Amino acid sequence: MLDRREFLKAAAGAAVLAGLPGCGRDEERWQPSAFAKHASSRTAVIHVNGYERGIAEAVRRGVELFDLPVRGRRVVLKPNFVEFDPQGVINTHPAVVAAAIEVFRALDADVVVAEGPGHRRDNEYLLTATGIGNVLQDTGTSFVDLNNDAVRRVPLRSGYTGMKALYLPETVMSADLFVSLPKMKTHHWAGVTLSMKNLFGIVPGSIYGWPKNPLHWAGIRESILDINAALPMPRFNIVDGIVGMEGNGPIQGEPVPSGVLVFGEDPVAVDATCARLMDIDPEKVSYLKEAGRFLGNLETERIVTMGEDPDRYRRDYRVLSQFTRIKANSRATAG
Amino acid sequence: MDLARSHLLGAQDADGGWGANSSGGPSATEPTSLAVMALRGADDPEASRAADRGLVWLRERQRSDGSWPVSDQVPMGCWMTSLAALALAGSPIDRSRAGAGARWLLEQEGRPVPWMSRLFFFLFPRYDVIDLDLELKGWSWFENTFGWVEPTAYALIALKTLRADLPQSQTRSRIEEGERMLVDRVCEGGGWNYGNSRVYDEELWPYPDTTALALLALQDRPGLPEVRSSLDVLDRMVARNESLLATSLALLCGRVYGRPVQALSRRIGEHLESDSRWIDVRAVALASLALREGAVPLYFRNA
Repeated sequence: MLDRREFLKAAAGAAVLAGLPGCGRDEERWQPSAFAKHASSRTAVIHVNGYERGIAEAVRRGVELFDLPVRGRRVVLKPNFVEFDPQGVINTHPAVVAAAIEVFRALDADVVVAEGPGHRRDNEYLLTATGIGNVLQDTGTSFVDLNNDAVRRVPLRSGYTGMKALYLPETVMSADLFVSLPKMKTHHWAGVTLSMKNLFGIVPGSIYGWPKNPLHWAGIRESILDINAALPMPRFNIVDGIVGMEGNGPIQGEPVPSGVLVFGEDPVAVDATCARLMDIDPEKVSYLKEAGRFLGNLETERIVTMGEDPDRYRRDYRVLSQFTRIKANSRATAG
Repeated sequence: MDLARSHLLGAQDADGGWGANSSGGPSATEPTSLAVMALRGADDPEASRAADRGLVWLRERQRSDGSWPVSDQVPMGCWMTSLAALALAGSPIDRSRAGAGARWLLEQEGRPVPWMSRLFFFLFPRYDVIDLDLELKGWSWFENTFGWVEPTAYALIALKTLRADLPQSQTRSRIEEGERMLVDRVCEGGGWNYGNSRVYDEELWPYPDTTALALLALQDRPGLPEVRSSLDVLDRMVARNESLLATSLALLCGRVYGRPVQALSRRIGEHLESDSRWIDVRAVALASLALREGAVPLYFRNA
């Protein structure tokens, strides 16, 4: 029998409740007129051996497959850097950020890097320790701290969290192309964190706190859906799966060399492709399954994958025991 | 000191407030409050004028319930009320405004966990993943959300500073509860993360900024074992993290706890001279406060 303290601390996972796979049963909670899913989506899987060389060429190869109209346009690159561990693989690798800057600049885009770390308020430390700061300095690229950017109140176009609107950064909302640049990781609340979950980093901490707690209260799954549905601008996604993270992600997991970058305009299709590369069934990841109903394409038959044969790069990412159900083969590989 | 001051003077917005980033941006309550604290009392007419303009910005933004919003763009009362109250507490004509902010803080607390969730976790204890006493609510970033270390630390500093102006019994009770919350959330071995000390049987890492803020909030409790261990942890963290924010907060702690501070002081001077691209108004204002010898608004021992 649990004592009162034990009982209450167990209850603290209120934040987790809504994020657990399979907990949600939703009717249509989006404005049908605001979303028009394409019949199919394209993704690309490009092999890269490691971070030492060949990244810019791989990013160029991936981006060029999509013929993005970015000349003279403002492109906001949103990497994932939330924490630093010298032994860990928490963040989008600086070499991938550098390559994306180089490639979009070569397409004559006006490039800005923006992030609102959810775990740390010390940007100077994070930028310096992760090496992203050196990339920005070497390439003369502006950085916008999304935790403290000017904001606008954005009415939500879907109704999963119950919130009417979110304050979102001006830098993101005024982008001509928003590029989510996440790390391929498992996640101890959401199952996986990829292009869509990376958007937690656009929610300003100065308003919503560190970590961005109202999103946890509203449900991680629900928040991922509402934030992604709120962005009206064209999107692109480049997932750093050269070395991903398994087990207790997104911070304390272990590295998995997957040797891939994954590209695409449809974040649902990109994340579904990544999940399959992680030997995770995207239809068992609650927020991906729901996103597949209105935000993008989830089913294999609706996704055309270019580049390498994904099966060659499929790795068995371990998940925590609470998430064994999302594994493609559903066998326990607890980490 | 002069470098920090000139940095702040250069970053002041036309409306008299400060944005978070040194390069500009919309004025907000947190950076404006810290900049005002850093510039007030300086033997420098230009700094005093800038602080006065900042005070005007703060006065004009106080809401009718006593709280302060994040900024003009986000009008709801929030955690930054603690900092605005501290900034105004040093100005005799603003003491009642500061008191109104502190009284608003007395009424705020972290949101309790709903019974439905409690029941779910009672029935499914495998999802029991964190180690907190949830009866201790502390203060949240903004209304109706969970309590966290940083807003709780700032609220404690504000209430302890202004306690003479507040209802004694309620203030004592909230302060004691807030202190217990900080002690409950200390990481294994010392120091503080943002709110949890453990998730999924993994110890979470303490951070220098949250640790230093919690220590500042507990500066009148130097005998607590959690305080002593956390001071040592802070020393070790700051040896690895040389950011201006971490160093400045560590120096503020070092001074109030009587620890050696020369190396930290020297490091801040070097940092300001290096003109790093990534330092922000908050870090510079805290550096300016940390370099000041004697009383600063974040020290309440003699308040």
